[in-house]
Amino acid sequence: MEEKVAIGRHTAERGLEGDVATWAVELKEARKTYRTGPIEIPALRGVSLQIAPGEFLAIAGPSGSGKTTLLNIIGGLDRADDGEVWVEGKNLQLLSSGDLARMRLERLGFVFQAYNLLPVLTAMENAEFTLLLQGVPVERRRERVQKLFLEIGLAGLENRRPGELSGGQRQRVAVARAMVTEPALILADEPTANLDSATALSLLDVMEQLNRDHGTTFVFSTHDPQVMERSRRWIRLRDGQIASDAAHASHILPP
Amino acid sequence: MSAVLLLVKIGWRNLWRNPRGTLLTALALGLGLALLLISLGLLDGLHEKMVGDGVRFGTGHVVLQAKGYQDTGSQDLLLPARVVSMTEEFLHTEPMKHVVRGMSPRLLASGLLSSAANAAGVGIIGVLPQEERAVSLIPLRIVEGTNLSDDKRPGVVIGAELARKLEVKVGAKVVLMSQTVQQPGTEATVAGEGGMQSTLLRVSGIFRTGVQAIDAHIIHLPLPVAQALLGVPDRVTQVAILLEREGDSPMVARDLRKQLAGEPVEVLPWRESMPRLVQIFRLDQAFNYIMNGVVLAMVGLGILNTILMRVLERRYEFGLCKALGLRPLQLAGMIIGESLALTTISLALGLVLGSSAHYYISTFGLDLHWLFKSGAPSAFVFDPIIYSRLSLSRIATSVSIVFLTATVISFYPALKAARTELPDALKVF
Repeated sequence: MEEKVAIGRHTAERGLEGDVATWAVELKEARKTYRTGPIEIPALRGVSLQIAPGEFLAIAGPSGSGKTTLLNIIGGLDRADDGEVWVEGKNLQLLSSGDLARMRLERLGFVFQAYNLLPVLTAMENAEFTLLLQGVPVERRRERVQKLFLEIGLAGLENRRPGELSGGQRQRVAVARAMVTEPALILADEPTANLDSATALSLLDVMEQLNRDHGTTFVFSTHDPQVMERSRRWIRLRDGQIASDAAHASHILPP
Repeated sequence: MSAVLLLVKIGWRNLWRNPRGTLLTALALGLGLALLLISLGLLDGLHEKMVGDGVRFGTGHVVLQAKGYQDTGSQDLLLPARVVSMTEEFLHTEPMKHVVRGMSPRLLASGLLSSAANAAGVGIIGVLPQEERAVSLIPLRIVEGTNLSDDKRPGVVIGAELARKLEVKVGAKVVLMSQTVQQPGTEATVAGEGGMQSTLLRVSGIFRTGVQAIDAHIIHLPLPVAQALLGVPDRVTQVAILLEREGDSPMVARDLRKQLAGEPVEVLPWRESMPRLVQIFRLDQAFNYIMNGVVLAMVGLGILNTILMRVLERRYEFGLCKALGLRPLQLAGMIIGESLALTTISLALGLVLGSSAHYYISTFGLDLHWLFKSGAPSAFVFDPIIYSRLSLSRIATSVSIVFLTATVISFYPALKAARTELPDALKVF
């Protein structure tokens, strides 16, 4: 627990001292409103936060609190209407769609709640998908994917299609795909939502291990207390605003 | 494997996620191509038949006649014997003799044919039986009796409809009356020149062509008998020339025209001497192309429907691809690739079906007699058994058009896929 607090203070101090480039992610008064005809739904109402490299943090909150919107904006899948969004030293608000796509391909990894994989590709082909798009030669691709598969317990499943894998195995393949490009940041939108608790814990073990061994920043959105418990920092959203941002285990609040 | 190959692999495998659906779609589209090929094969076969039969029931591939005859049809416009001799001599030289199958001098006139029971207006064609047999189909369509013989006996060959109208059979006597021809500069050797002449004939044969206008109207009699009847002992109306290949018509017409330069004649290829046939040809072709356009539109809509449905069903998948960094152009390319793969399978099926049907119809023919129970209308000059004729260029053109249509049509679903919007597409409902 104290360790968690210490890490959190260290993170905040780095943020206070450093400039934009020291943060993996920085948002300044980010706002996002969805419009459906005449109806406006504010999803984010001026969110400001900093995420240091190597963090393992959860974004929690009830449904409609803005978790997915926040993740989408950080991941360049959506644009904020207002404010600044900095990822890896780049202002996403100023990037074109093409540049955002390149950013997602080269610097970010994604793990979604479900249907992460292309059903017609094998586990190996799904995992190396982003490497292929980057033009990495086949030997290097295979080597990297196989190493990761070994690391996260997927060895022997390379030629299976998603339909032949369990839910937990599919999510691990998604994690492998997210990791294989050695991204700075992995965004996971409720990755354990469709898994039983044992499988969810197992997946968390994998991601924590990768975070420790590779220093990759992991940002989750979650309802799952197990995920929140395992994270070293959690940001609680309510009604599109940050309700709390702490590195303290005792700050786990029910969604 | 490059990104392009990856996308090709994804596109190909996506086709087989639902093999039955893909095969059914391919079969439906393939049937479209097969219909197209069958239609074109029948069209080309029909036109080949129309031309082939038309020229052999009509004036041949090339016709030589007196200048002005094509416009007026006046039976006073005749060719002198020397022109016929020059023509015959020319057509026996190199290279003409390899190109020409036969030539037949004819004397044409109108008259009245009477039997004991009835009378009918007729078109008289005076012919040399052996020459006429090499050019015309009428001598080959004798159903009762025999064709004219070369011994100049005053026989006559009439159509089955005419025989029925006159209530005559083979061996019956008929009287043929016609107006003699006024020839400037000739001696008035025939009694009643410029007036009516008649001659008694015996029906030697009855023919049936299936063409109403011919079977009810045309009679053949020996050329010397016709010449005597009309008072033109050494003249003919036209020389009908039949060639080995229809394509040589313009060349032969041109060369014969040159040979007879200075003579008051007109030398016409069949497209000019039988404009009605050409009109039918063109109308038929236009209608066929419209029908083919409809088939093509249906094929195109089929492809569009299938691919568009697949795109709409896979919105999440495309969102995922875009989220991972796939560019819109790459996504569009994947969809177009899928569409082309489906089209290729369809084309292969269509070629198999279409070729099989073409083989059957080209070998056994399509009998359309049931359509013309009372004989072919006068507008048609053909025997209603059609054989399919499909050239390689026709097949290549049809396949190319279908392929191009499918490619163009696939742009819309490809654009739709490329425009998949993030993050909406990633919402799991």
